[in-house]
Amino acid sequence: MSAQVSLSCERIERYLGEEEERVHALRGVSLEIETGSVHAVVGPSGCGKSSLLYILGLLDTPDAGRVAIETEGVSHLSDDELAHKRNKFIGFIFQFHFLMEDFTAQENVMIPMRKLGRLPDAQMRDRAAELLDGVGLGDKLRRLSRHLSGGEQQRVAIARALANDPRVILADEPTGNLDTANSERAFELLQNLVHERGKALLLATHNPAIAEACDWIHEMKDGRIIASHSRGTQSSIS
Amino acid sequence: MTPPLYIALRFLTHRKRALLLSLSGVVFGVAIFICTQAQTQGFSRYFIESNIGSNGALVVRSRFRPRYEPLMVAAKNSKGSTGRRLYFEGITNPNEIMRVSRQFPDVISCSPVLRGNVSARAGFENATVELYGIDPALHAQTTDILRQFIDGNFDDFRNNTSAIIIGSRLAELLQTSVGDTVQLLAPNGEYWRFNVAAIARAGIGSIDSIRIYSHAKVAQALLQQPSGASMIIYKLRDRNRAPELASRFETLFQHSALSWQEREESTLQLFLTLRMSVAITVSLIILLAGFGIFNVLTMSVLAKIKEIAILRSMGYRRRDISAIFLWQGALIAAAGSMVGCLLGALMTWGVSHIPIHLRGLLYTNYFLVTWDWHHYAFATLLALLAVFIASYVPSRRAAELPPVVTIRGSR
Repeated sequence: MSAQVSLSCERIERYLGEEEERVHALRGVSLEIETGSVHAVVGPSGCGKSSLLYILGLLDTPDAGRVAIETEGVSHLSDDELAHKRNKFIGFIFQFHFLMEDFTAQENVMIPMRKLGRLPDAQMRDRAAELLDGVGLGDKLRRLSRHLSGGEQQRVAIARALANDPRVILADEPTGNLDTANSERAFELLQNLVHERGKALLLATHNPAIAEACDWIHEMKDGRIIASHSRGTQSSIS
Repeated sequence: MTPPLYIALRFLTHRKRALLLSLSGVVFGVAIFICTQAQTQGFSRYFIESNIGSNGALVVRSRFRPRYEPLMVAAKNSKGSTGRRLYFEGITNPNEIMRVSRQFPDVISCSPVLRGNVSARAGFENATVELYGIDPALHAQTTDILRQFIDGNFDDFRNNTSAIIIGSRLAELLQTSVGDTVQLLAPNGEYWRFNVAAIARAGIGSIDSIRIYSHAKVAQALLQQPSGASMIIYKLRDRNRAPELASRFETLFQHSALSWQEREESTLQLFLTLRMSVAITVSLIILLAGFGIFNVLTMSVLAKIKEIAILRSMGYRRRDISAIFLWQGALIAAAGSMVGCLLGALMTWGVSHIPIHLRGLLYTNYFLVTWDWHHYAFATLLALLAVFIASYVPSRRAAELPPVVTIRGSR
């Protein structure tokens, strides 16, 4: 992998739960996501896909191992600094889209921008409108998010993940809650963004068609990446 | 507008029922606090104004023999000073004391009074009265007597040495009016005849029911007093400085000096106790409003767990999340206090128009209220404090919520 690495982790260990319910969720996971590439993490439920995404997205901290954005390690950063990194460098898309119900589609997209505070209000509005237009929701800017369909809400979530022009997009089963047509549309949208704008995308998915369309596929089982292969090639043990 | 304030506003306005519930608690708490304070202080202030207006802010009375305690050595096991002052009735040299007193910048004016108790008779009615022998011009400068007239006029009194001013309730008791004759019994058993020139209402029962004013020289002759004054009353620029000035006058003149605060201590304490009791009761209402807000915000945190996790995933810090809920509290407190102050003012105005027929300690036909910005400031401060405490715990709780747990739980 010679391209620039946007996000990486090395030998990540993560335990979840307490005492008897303690589970070894991630066992020495290492991964590199390059700029302009789409990576899929696949595997059965409970194999550690989401745990890996949360750690890479700086939402959770590993019990051991190292996470780096580009080349900068983040283990030593404070909670506030991690929040700033999330705001600036990472865009999240969740399975259940997680929109703010009391806000319109446009306002939802503006929320990360408000936090970053880089643009004045008018420009934030314009950018949000542009992003929503890009996901085909240009005519629903002022609609409350709870009044949008599931597919539309997921597209708003995609637009919101791109609000601060992040280097990395992390998507936890972004199409898991959508029908086939909407799944394909959402994935295509993300794929285009990555390739056209030079982002890095890591998505956890159960959908084999989507996984096959990614540049890299990482298979996980019992907290380990057991195989990684690029599109169209055979599995190789990691 | 900061992002937490923007989000707080939206959270608030999209939960109208909860907002109304929280707001109404603060609004009514603040309004009731203001209104009750206005009433209790209204009666208290009226009493103070009327009392000072009739009896002065400071009174210099009997001369006392100076004691030289600093020069004495206390006996072993003695519990400090046990001796008492020896008082001599009356003012020894009123003109000199008044001349020196006027040098004090706090003193606006002072007036000598010769006071004595006599029997009064009018027609078939009798009463024991308190005779105040005054210098009309000085007394008019020092007290509010000119504003207390409900009948007659001051010139008729000033220009006629056999004229008197009579308290309104005493006039009712003796069934006299302006122009009637009242007889006062001198110590030698002789009745002196006086013409009622005016009727005055101080507004305090204990004054209006027993007091008669006459010219000082006439009172001195009637009471057969050697001294021209039994006390000097003072009008001060700042009545709150009366105790300090009283202490200085005692040292300087070797006469007992009494501030209005000391003179009316028991009545003032009664008013203060009443006011504090009401304030405590109403503060509890505001605290209850605080509990209401605590509940609403705690429920809001529970209802917004998902939103909190989203915000954290988008880079909002713990303190931003905390600020969102603190802002909600602050907005409720600010809006509630503002509306509460307006409602409080309206309620105070309404209460001041409620007719009552008080003829006891005080004379009034309507509820007495006082308009004091301190009530509004204190009520607002109390509301802000209660709401801050009420919103602090939920805000901390919201900030401490780990976003991953929520996101995992929503899968």
